[in-house]
Amino acid sequence: MNLKNIEYIVKTITLVLIFTYLTDKVVFFSLNKISDKVFTGQSIGKLNHYIVLKDSLDFVVFGSSRANRNLNPEIISKNSFNMGADGRKLSFAATLIKILPRKKEQTVLLHIDPEKAYLKNYKGDDIQVLGTKYHRNPLIKNEIDKLEQADRFQKFYWSLGYNRTVLGIIKNYLHPNYNYKNYSGFDPIFVTENQKNIFKNILKNEASVKCENVFVINEIYKNYLSELKLFCDQNNKKLILFTSPKYNDQCKEDNLKFSQTMENMGLTYLDMTDYFKKNNLFEYWKDKIHLSNYGAEIFTEEFKQLLIEIK
Amino acid sequence: MLFNSFEFLIFFPIVFTIYWVLNKDLTKQNLLLLLSSYIFYAWWDWRFLSLIIISSFIDFRAGIKIFASKTKRERKKWLIVSLVANLGFLSIFKYYNFFAESFSDLMNRFGWQPNDLTLNIILPVGISFYTFQTLSYSIDIYRKQFKPTYNVVSFFTYVSFFPQLVAGPIERASNLLPQIEKKRIFKKEWFNAGVIQILIGLFRKIVIADNIAGYVDTIYADVSLYNSSTILLATVLYAFQIYFDFAGYSDIAIGTAKLLGFKFNQNFNLPYFSKSLTEFWRKWHISLSFWLRDYLYISLGGNRKGIKITYRNLMLTMLLGGLWHGANWTFLFWGGIHGVVLSLEKFLKSIRFSNKFKTVDFLGYPLTFGIVIFSWIFFRSQDLNSAFVAIKKIFQFNFSAPFIGDINLITNSILVLSIGLIFDLYLFNKNLSLENLGAKFSLLKIVIVSCIVIMLINLFYSSSNNFIYFQF
Repeated sequence: MNLKNIEYIVKTITLVLIFTYLTDKVVFFSLNKISDKVFTGQSIGKLNHYIVLKDSLDFVVFGSSRANRNLNPEIISKNSFNMGADGRKLSFAATLIKILPRKKEQTVLLHIDPEKAYLKNYKGDDIQVLGTKYHRNPLIKNEIDKLEQADRFQKFYWSLGYNRTVLGIIKNYLHPNYNYKNYSGFDPIFVTENQKNIFKNILKNEASVKCENVFVINEIYKNYLSELKLFCDQNNKKLILFTSPKYNDQCKEDNLKFSQTMENMGLTYLDMTDYFKKNNLFEYWKDKIHLSNYGAEIFTEEFKQLLIEIK
Repeated sequence: MLFNSFEFLIFFPIVFTIYWVLNKDLTKQNLLLLLSSYIFYAWWDWRFLSLIIISSFIDFRAGIKIFASKTKRERKKWLIVSLVANLGFLSIFKYYNFFAESFSDLMNRFGWQPNDLTLNIILPVGISFYTFQTLSYSIDIYRKQFKPTYNVVSFFTYVSFFPQLVAGPIERASNLLPQIEKKRIFKKEWFNAGVIQILIGLFRKIVIADNIAGYVDTIYADVSLYNSSTILLATVLYAFQIYFDFAGYSDIAIGTAKLLGFKFNQNFNLPYFSKSLTEFWRKWHISLSFWLRDYLYISLGGNRKGIKITYRNLMLTMLLGGLWHGANWTFLFWGGIHGVVLSLEKFLKSIRFSNKFKTVDFLGYPLTFGIVIFSWIFFRSQDLNSAFVAIKKIFQFNFSAPFIGDINLITNSILVLSIGLIFDLYLFNKNLSLENLGAKFSLLKIVIVSCIVIMLINLFYSSSNNFIYFQF
């Protein structure tokens, strides 16, 4: 290969890198501008809404869809927000708890599913949805880096944080689904006839479950729970962990072990898995782990009393 | 190692740089290709390297022996050695469990329950591809269409050349081996064309195919749960997923080879723009379809032995072609459907049927697409039962609103699919080939196109799945 060809290759690669780097920054800052005005939608809007509200809240709920769908925070406090979202586990919730204001008195309700806490292969990948804030919030960046969940190229191409969220952002920017000012983060499920039939079929064909008998808490869970305890103790926050109801939980051992672990760690844990066991109605449920709007209202009312007792 | 992995991004520039530094010494350059190909393969599982090495050694010797044989009988003997060795490995690793299970099922029907005959065998990645590649070498020499090489490094490099080692294109010795044995020259046009083809291949794979995969996998995990429109939507999307997945892989392979100074044959040529299934097979996985034509269909007698034998040959070729994709009855059905339709097309051609419908021959496009989509149901389903459930569900004509699932996923899929289809339509209308698209690009155009594609990848890529054809 002659010098001219080497020069050509180097020039092409360098120019591609420079141009893509610069374009990436233009795209990134443009998307920042747009997304900062988006307060609706599950991917960005709800997160932005939470970031705006977080300093003024006195009661916040975190966790997966079971937190999001099963607990109406407005019944407990007018100054509240439910930051639960589909598919989220502890790394996402813990990071958002850590950005709560220092020293402000707040109650933090964190939903934990013991089954998930014992998962061996949980790597904290649910934190990736905070990627849009990777280059904008040092704490979030630090948490993502700690779990090695950043895209390998994210330090060079910042817009990678917006991967697969662009359409959602544009859609919610141009046409918000709801008025976010009236939104508490709670997304109740109004069960349709079709969903009822599917659930009936599931119950009809219900088989017995093989329960786990080895319970080693996932390291990421363990570390985060210790960190959250420390953070909340130091910053005037009451941290309460809870597990929301299941229709028919066949495995009890994991809940018992988890309760013990939480007690040993000095954490308050409310296991509500069997809350509806004695007085169960089909109308309370959408499926085996999600309550209907009706079930959620009843559950929240009961939960409110429990919180008063704890306080 | 996957083309769309971080490891390959480190591996390839190192190989590329050393490769062109060694440009003055062909032997060293080929040794580097051989070594890097083995590293590329060993990244997946080093133990199976021995299979490639044994297979290469047998065919290297067989090629020389076939060529040197004085009698037809002796030539045949060495060809059989090559066939038995290659097909033997393939049978054991790919088909043993399938036949053992099928045998047990059959015996169960007669009330006899044999012991579990299956073995715990891992399917070596790429075995179907490099087996067909080495077979074509022995058969070409046997047919006196090609002379063997006496250079062991060249031959071993031919078998294991990393851009096409694990999922093709299946390169014939007549195309690739002479290029390995000749000094390569760096061409700016090839570099440009290679870069553009790699980037577009990446876009096709990790943006289009992998986004669509999310929806298709959800639906095909249990088709019994969904209505007709949902299964139909998932099947149509699967048609595009598999096309962009495999065409994307081939683009990256062809582009990578081009950067090293090698020219592979085209493997996909806008196959869904076909007016007949015959035309479809001239455009879909071209290296396989031409392999099947040249080494199976023609070996069986092709169309030289009367119309009935021609149909039989077509059916056998397509059934075995189906089975090549995987040891499952679903692939046999898929091949069978293609065999039946190809035979029908041959029959209609023989009675000059299409002459009567010249004015509406454009209907061939949707008709062919419909047949291909129907056959994909078998290709995608886990087993025959699921395939029949999917077909039954579709023909219940319950076309109420389809299940959408994650709205973000489906909108992203539709957007990126539209970009891919518009680009393909552009190539089709302008009669362009992606293989040469970037060759005449100026530096500025290369930079702009690269920039656009990289930005689209950054904003829309989906977490990487394996290439579908890796399992074959």
